[in-house]
Amino acid sequence: MRTSRLRAYARFLGASLAVNVQAVIEYRVNFLVQVFGMMLNNAAFALFWGVLIGKVGNLGGYGFSDVMLIWALVSTSFGLAHVVFGNVRSIGAIVQKGELDLYLLQPKDVLVNVLASRTVVSAWGDFLYGYIVLALIPGMDLSRLALFSLLSVSGAAIFAATFAAAESLCFFLGDASGISDAITEFLLSFSLYPETIFDKGMRWVFYTIIPSGFIAFLPLSILKSAAWLLVPAALGVAALYAAASYGFFRLGLRRYESGGQMGTRL
Amino acid sequence: MKGRAYLKARKYLVAASSAFRERTAYGGSFFGSVLAYGLFVFVFSRVWAAAFAGRADISGYGLRQIIWYFAVAEIPSFAFGGSFWSLSQDMKSGQVAYLVSRPYDFVAYSYAQGSGRALANSAVLFAEGLAFGFLTAGAPPLESLPQALCVLAGLAMAGSVQFLLQLAIAMTAFWVEENAAFFWIFQKLALVVGTLMPIEFLPAAAQRAAWLSPFPAMSYVPARLFASWGGGREAARLLGFQLAWVLLSALACRAIYAVARARLTVNGG
Repeated sequence: MRTSRLRAYARFLGASLAVNVQAVIEYRVNFLVQVFGMMLNNAAFALFWGVLIGKVGNLGGYGFSDVMLIWALVSTSFGLAHVVFGNVRSIGAIVQKGELDLYLLQPKDVLVNVLASRTVVSAWGDFLYGYIVLALIPGMDLSRLALFSLLSVSGAAIFAATFAAAESLCFFLGDASGISDAITEFLLSFSLYPETIFDKGMRWVFYTIIPSGFIAFLPLSILKSAAWLLVPAALGVAALYAAASYGFFRLGLRRYESGGQMGTRL
Repeated sequence: MKGRAYLKARKYLVAASSAFRERTAYGGSFFGSVLAYGLFVFVFSRVWAAAFAGRADISGYGLRQIIWYFAVAEIPSFAFGGSFWSLSQDMKSGQVAYLVSRPYDFVAYSYAQGSGRALANSAVLFAEGLAFGFLTAGAPPLESLPQALCVLAGLAMAGSVQFLLQLAIAMTAFWVEENAAFFWIFQKLALVVGTLMPIEFLPAAAQRAAWLSPFPAMSYVPARLFASWGGGREAARLLGFQLAWVLLSALACRAIYAVARARLTVNGG
């Protein structure tokens, strides 16, 4: 029973993604400009790291390829989260405008339905950028590529879970966009730099409320040592974050009051 | 009787002061930029502390100087950071049609409005930067009043180049509907060339290329004047470089606007 439900939701996510992709590639030039623009945007930081590490040798024990691997993992995970769940950072706005009514009337789970009803075009550039970086790092093979992909799935789930939970604060606080933006900034900023540059006393944050540790630092060590045995643990942590975020959204949903908005969703 | 020039300038001063008052009306509206700036300066103070481990000097800068450099270099980009989005939205939504029909110069009016808003942002970020710098790097490397005045002039011109080039990129919306990618690339080049690190850190060929671009005028100059004062002659050269780019950017905006205006189609209603 449970397996068939999971399968049904997997089919639903696939169908949503296919519809979203058709919608965005309708404007082909716009799509390509945004995707390549985002990849160039990310590449600018590679220049910075190349120059800095070229001057100092390493940064807190991280060499250039380590920093690039972090960028690859974070970029692909962040991209995947926004490609599949494009509304993940719009939940607050949707709730505030009363647009949740449309999803409440549909037979699929509200959160999954809201999240999957859009794709972010520039996120395709983030998603692809990670694979391009990976291909340029020496010593990568098919096995590492598979490992990287699995770790990116767990990273994407953690990104989506954290953003969705932050956005769900709007059920309790009204306009929580300031806090939500802050959590987004913190999560991205801490995930993209070597863990060792931060004081030991603050690193617990990376394995709790700002889970950069599970998105970037732990996957980096799994990838470098090809520790396949730790992959189920990484996926398990992602499932825990997803479950906690889902529970938080449902808790907030009880407080939602419909504005009686009329609308259609095709 | 007041002169024509005064009357002409007055409307732009009113636009700037209205934008300043609008920006300062709600203290909470600074939350996002204050937090993002503080977070960025904190993260980079850690990056530089790790880079300087066991070193006293990188390309002529010490750790204290580089933290102050970064704190000052980030101010123009944070203060004017969001200008592109609102300008670009005005072009796409047709709001620009309402602006162009009014009795003022579109480029000058946009610049006055952007400057008023950015002045409020800069004041808050400068205070935050000073507090952060004190906490993480100690006393600022300010030696004299002329140095402080040059830093202020450098910040004002850096912000001007930032704004005018963002306006120029925003006006590409007259030709390309989705122009965000152009801005991302511009923004990231500005970050790498002189904001995240001084120009002196770049390889020699990249330094030469950088000085042919406007990017050093957008953050390097005020940050260099603040963190590593090289005397009046160097200051005059750097400020002259900035002034040239302010004028060139303003001319570029006017030229793009003149061509773009011919493409504007207004459907009344």
